[in-house]
Amino acid sequence: MAKVNVTIDNIKVSVEEGNTILEAAMLAGIKIPTLCAWPEINHRPGACRVCVVEVDGQRNLVASCVFPVSEGMVVKTTSERVRKARKLNVELLLSNHPTECNVCVRNGNCDLQVVAEAVGLREVRFTYPDYSTAEYIDDSSPSVVRDARKCIKCYRCVTVCDEIQTASVLSPTFRGDGVRIGPAFNLPLLETNCTNCGQCILACPVGALYEKDDTDKVWAALNDPSKHVVVQEAPAIRAALGEDLGMPVGSLVTGKMIEALRRLGFDKVFDTNFTADLTIIEEGNELLQRVKTGGKLPMITSCSPGWIKFCEHFYPDLLDNLSTCKSPQQMMGALIKTYYAEHSGVDAKDIVSVSIMPCTAKKFECQRDEMADSGFRDVDYVLTTRELSRMIKQAGIDFANLPEGDYDNPLGEYTGAGTIFGATGGVMEAALRTVYAVVTGTNLESLDVTPVRGLEGVKEAAVEVGPLGKVKVAVAHGLSNARQLMDKIRDGSADYAFIEVMCCPGGCVSGGGQPIAPSNEKRINRAAALYKDDGAVQKFRQSHENPSVKRIYEVFLKEPLGHKSHELLHTHYYKRGTDLPHAHDAELEVNDAKNKATH
Amino acid sequence: MKVFRAHILVCGGTGCRASGSEGVHGAVVKEIAAKGLSDEVAIVETGCNGFCAAGPIMVIYPEGTFYQYVKADDVSEIIEEHIVKGRPVQRLMYREPATEKAIPHMLDIPFFGKQMLIALKNRGLIDAEKIDEYIARDGYIGAAKALTEMSPDEVIDEVKKSGLRGRGGGGFPTGMKWQFARKSQGDIKYILCNADEGDPGAFMDRSVLEADPHAVLEGMIIGGYAIGANKGYIYCRAEYPLAIKRLGIAIDQAKEYGLLGDNILGSGYSLDIEVYQGAGAFVCGEETALMASIEGKRGMPRPRPPFPASQGLWKKPSVLNNVETFANISQIVLKGGSWYSSIGTERSKGTKVFALTGAVNNVGLVEVPMGTPIGDIIFDIGGGIPGGKQYKAAQLGGPSGGCIPSSALNTPTDYEEIIKLGAIMGSGGLIVMDEDTCMVDTARFFMEFCQEESCGKCTPCREGTKRMLEVLHRICHGEGKEGDIELLEELAATIKDSALCGLGQTAPNPVLSTIRYFRDEYEAHIYDKKCPAAVCSSLFKSPCQSACPIEMDVPAYIALVRAGRLEDAYRVMLRTNPFPGVCGRVCPQFCSNKCRRGQLDEPMAIAWLKRYIADNGRKPVIEAVPVTRKEKIAVIGAGPAGLTAAQDLAKRGYKVTVFEELPHAGGMMRYAIPEYRLPRNIIEEEVKDIEALGVEIRTKTRVGKDISYDKISKDYDGIVIACGAHKSWTLDIEGEDLKGVWGATEFLREVNLGKKVKLGSKVAIVGGGNSAIDAARTAIRLGAADVTILYRRERKDMPAWEHEIKAAEHEGVKIEYLVAPVKLVGDKGKLNGVVCQKMKLGEFDRSGRRKPVPIPGSEYTLAIDTMIPAISQSADTSFIPDGSDVKRDKWGGIEKVAKSKNKTLAKGVYIIGDAATGPATVVEAIAMGHEVARDVDASIREWNNEPAYSEPEQDKIDIPFEVNEELLATPKEVMPEMEIAARVANFAEVELGYTRETAYKEACRCLRCDAEL
Repeated sequence: MAKVNVTIDNIKVSVEEGNTILEAAMLAGIKIPTLCAWPEINHRPGACRVCVVEVDGQRNLVASCVFPVSEGMVVKTTSERVRKARKLNVELLLSNHPTECNVCVRNGNCDLQVVAEAVGLREVRFTYPDYSTAEYIDDSSPSVVRDARKCIKCYRCVTVCDEIQTASVLSPTFRGDGVRIGPAFNLPLLETNCTNCGQCILACPVGALYEKDDTDKVWAALNDPSKHVVVQEAPAIRAALGEDLGMPVGSLVTGKMIEALRRLGFDKVFDTNFTADLTIIEEGNELLQRVKTGGKLPMITSCSPGWIKFCEHFYPDLLDNLSTCKSPQQMMGALIKTYYAEHSGVDAKDIVSVSIMPCTAKKFECQRDEMADSGFRDVDYVLTTRELSRMIKQAGIDFANLPEGDYDNPLGEYTGAGTIFGATGGVMEAALRTVYAVVTGTNLESLDVTPVRGLEGVKEAAVEVGPLGKVKVAVAHGLSNARQLMDKIRDGSADYAFIEVMCCPGGCVSGGGQPIAPSNEKRINRAAALYKDDGAVQKFRQSHENPSVKRIYEVFLKEPLGHKSHELLHTHYYKRGTDLPHAHDAELEVNDAKNKATH
Repeated sequence: MKVFRAHILVCGGTGCRASGSEGVHGAVVKEIAAKGLSDEVAIVETGCNGFCAAGPIMVIYPEGTFYQYVKADDVSEIIEEHIVKGRPVQRLMYREPATEKAIPHMLDIPFFGKQMLIALKNRGLIDAEKIDEYIARDGYIGAAKALTEMSPDEVIDEVKKSGLRGRGGGGFPTGMKWQFARKSQGDIKYILCNADEGDPGAFMDRSVLEADPHAVLEGMIIGGYAIGANKGYIYCRAEYPLAIKRLGIAIDQAKEYGLLGDNILGSGYSLDIEVYQGAGAFVCGEETALMASIEGKRGMPRPRPPFPASQGLWKKPSVLNNVETFANISQIVLKGGSWYSSIGTERSKGTKVFALTGAVNNVGLVEVPMGTPIGDIIFDIGGGIPGGKQYKAAQLGGPSGGCIPSSALNTPTDYEEIIKLGAIMGSGGLIVMDEDTCMVDTARFFMEFCQEESCGKCTPCREGTKRMLEVLHRICHGEGKEGDIELLEELAATIKDSALCGLGQTAPNPVLSTIRYFRDEYEAHIYDKKCPAAVCSSLFKSPCQSACPIEMDVPAYIALVRAGRLEDAYRVMLRTNPFPGVCGRVCPQFCSNKCRRGQLDEPMAIAWLKRYIADNGRKPVIEAVPVTRKEKIAVIGAGPAGLTAAQDLAKRGYKVTVFEELPHAGGMMRYAIPEYRLPRNIIEEEVKDIEALGVEIRTKTRVGKDISYDKISKDYDGIVIACGAHKSWTLDIEGEDLKGVWGATEFLREVNLGKKVKLGSKVAIVGGGNSAIDAARTAIRLGAADVTILYRRERKDMPAWEHEIKAAEHEGVKIEYLVAPVKLVGDKGKLNGVVCQKMKLGEFDRSGRRKPVPIPGSEYTLAIDTMIPAISQSADTSFIPDGSDVKRDKWGGIEKVAKSKNKTLAKGVYIIGDAATGPATVVEAIAMGHEVARDVDASIREWNNEPAYSEPEQDKIDIPFEVNEELLATPKEVMPEMEIAARVANFAEVELGYTRETAYKEACRCLRCDAEL
């Protein structure tokens, strides 16, 4: 692309045509404060007007995040006019934003605080309106809480929900200062198509969207001597928890995490990776069975609860393509209250099963009616990485300097195949390793199935699997990418045997429960930590090699897809539809009246 | 084709339909059929005629007879008289407001005569639902020419040559816009028409679409051809059902005729046009929001670039033009760009359509050449302000625009000139506001509109407009505080500078422009907690009380009249007014001007009720107030200002001495107002009450002659100068030294002194104020045979009160308008004539009235022997010696301390009344008297380090609340007057006063706006 010469605050830079002023300013070493823009997902609404700059020849100030550079352009970023406008616009945002920073979930990690400091704001001259919290806070969902009072209308969540996840649950409603970002008809999130993925939370620059916090419940269980509290952690936690506790992005903190959990008071620390391995055995056998018996193909993974709910809403006709395997979290939950209870002699009713997940949808998943095959709630509480990190901070644990702990057995042992579940393509890679070995009796030439790794939206691979011939597989992460594959299945053009879908872009490493804020760079670094665990740390790299997995079949499950497996490890899905339940007219009127009252 | 001998055109625009034109149309059809005239008379239901205020409208051709306010019941008469007998129906014709003369033909009515129709050329002339009628008036010839004879580039060149600029508001050159889109690469392009008219009070687009939808389609065909678009959308708000219906019919008919669709007129060019209905969001007038809306998304704007010419609808090159812009296109192609550019100003070409609404006589749609002064539109075409009210401002450009104050009425309708005023041309909404409009409230209204219509996308518009609105609300509710104006300006500047789209960037305009031109009104709200226009109801109890300079509790004393408690009513009046008897006769009644009863029928006769109380109520006994203070105050001049000051200071315990040159106290009340309006005993009675307090009035004592100013300075601790304005202005023309020339003030003073004044028999008076009328009626009473007032403007411009003018006319005074004296001529030092020159009205002056301009060669001589100039008067302050601390300003007046209304530069010396302000009214003088008393006392206490004065508690007077449940239109009670024959020869009071019965009836008309329910 052609280069153009631009002068920014008397600094001359040569930048690519089509770049924005903001990008050009970066090159000139000038950081312009921004709030709403999120270039990585091409979100440039030009809405917050915090990044305005003065451009010679332009009548008004322009938003640097979206205004393209042109040859000879002269830009001023610190003129009195610019400074005044930026400052006043941030002041205006704060004039309609609760002044409760100290008790906000985003205290210390808030973009609005950052820009307020960047523009030098020291006073808000307007009186903050007195909103009733009851009306503005929607905590109907087990996963995501919306606090409309704090919303600064950056539209990031809207773009993420609409374009990245294509669930389109969040959109602007009403006008003027009454604008609210939320579900149509101001419905509670629980009653919508929301997949609970939590990507909106990651997108939110302030505390308007956050996970439903369950730490108090877990603290209560930990402090209850009559309870036996058992915890499992998803693969992606170990690659991200360190970040939230002062360590570099991509730190692999398995041992410290285990130690921290012990110190918090958990009686047993198991690992979801164990059931990830178990999933491979069950799911691999399910795939082989479908191939052999002419069952529904392509078969699609079912570990990601956001994805499952999305499918139930938008592709209810393709539910039979989903693997019947429960997610590793739920398999673990079911085993803890059966196999482990039996094994340990603790009464299942006294066991509190907690899981640490990178995911907000897991909070929803554990509450699904059917997730009680053990006779109890298979999983009692789900905490996100952020919540665990909060507990560690509350407990005053010096995480970075912890010694390395080790898992409890029998549900703690895992292979590299289990650990890579946390990155997009990981389930597929793990499955291919095992399926190949099971079918051909030999290992794949290289256990690294690189075509399914990385951040490309839809990845494809074809593997010669002995007598099965060429097996075509596909991997999608992020629901807009999943949609592409689903549409192909619908129109009959998908010739894949097996598809992996992860709800969140990048897979669980960037799940809705992970540290804020996300970026592709972080996704790559966190995934690299998992691949390091797989390639360099773990003794075994194939699920079927996991000794504990072998043992559980011997002593408990007997055989893959067997009776016990079906009882505890498999599930079924429900058509949910895309129609919104329409609020009663009278209710709409009430909402309308409330909205007016706020004017 | 069938030939008819007559065409009856019934307006079927939305305005006329709303006033019942469908019924009229139905009646015409029935009546014509019944009379068997169907073969002779064609009936056409047209689109909007434009003169919406006069609807339902009917025009009958071939003569072009214009009938207004036609009701279905009138139809049989019209058919019988006009069509059958050939006798036009006078009573339904338009009448010239001043002369009430009927104007039969449409084009002779000033509303129509001064317009120039291009975009509206077919309005009211064709049936919008018949394509043949459009074609018959050169319809689709422009498109045919463009498609078959011209290349797209030639079309664009022609439009560029025309100088046409976007009529939606932005004013971007249309040809350039087309050229950009033409040059943009794209397999698909769109031509879009913006018919999302959303300004309050604007209905230009709706009218064009209803009256002439094909003109818009034709413009779009030409535009589409020029840029290479094969698909077009008209984005029209769903609130315009008639426009949408007629567009649909027009599109179908055009398709049927091969004028839309594939291969138009065999040219190979194809265009499909669809109407897209908008749900009525103001922001969807913004082009990127409009396109988002067509795409099915929420109508929110996006940043530009990319501009729609390269990435518009569905990211394809698109051109969006407004309805009016398209309506001009076919004629530009047909008649040529240079024809179009010959109309208008240098940078604004062609004509512009305005929707004229608000406080203007002729509400309607007007099209004028660019450059037409705004004042011409409002006063010539619009017929001025109804109800004799004063023009205050016009809001141009809708809620994004700004206001045009009276000082800017000469501004030509030109994009750049209007921007200089802080307004915008916008799409052409012109809302006229009269004196009863509060500009802060107006700004608040428009800000509320923009705030509610903001899409909420960008911070400055979403939050900033709300914060501005809150500040404005606060000011309107009397909670404004210092710094609010500056805060509004700061918010406005940043919102304008940093908002995402046009809506936000222009939303602060009404606030900025009202602050620019009416800052004093903001200050009155913030500092004085007053709404001068009596609109912001949190700031006053009732509009009348608010309007009164001394805030008399009008509803209270009217209620007491109704209750028959006249003594209490008197006490209420005396709380604020020491001269109720005087004011009951001569007050100009600022109160009455704001009386809400006036919106129903006529305002209350407040002064006459006041007079009734003063004349009939038992006056409370006034007792002397003991002197409790050591400071002595001198008041120079015993007029209403000085006496009020003396009264108030005496009540506060000061020893007050009033020095009066003339033999009686009363000042201008006594010596300028003639006795027939204000009997002397009334003044004397009220002066006596002030003396009763202990005030000493030394008459026949001229300061500077009978007592030196320096002595007063030495002997008194405070001086209040209230010497009035007793010196008439001269005409400053040749011959004023001739015998027979009198200043009006001097003339009236001589008469009021009781001197024998000898006047000639032919008297001319120059001026249009109350002094001129007083002089004229006095001259009549002195026996002048012929009294003529010469006034340089028109009657509606006369400052004198209408009932005074009428009384003068009844008494035989002649008034000549639009003349000015240029020379006085005489013989042997004696006046024998005045040379007058006729005037015509030119540009508007700062007061919003047209300036009289002499007509050269129109001079004529009027034979007279007496000339009384009554143009104004000033104070004679020569008694203040040079070298005194009291300084004069460069105009010869007394200089005041900055921001003070009465403090001179000398310590303890104040100036009030006409001496300070020039000729004003009694009630204003009283107000100044009250104020100066407060200031004198406050200063003295401040010098002495004393606590501030606290008003003694007033006696409690219970005010009954009684109103009529049923509200029937009832005019005010007539004031009985003495017979003309009985009054012209003497100075007996002309107005006889209300009786108990009429006063009661009048009191019952009060709506009791003061009630807190």
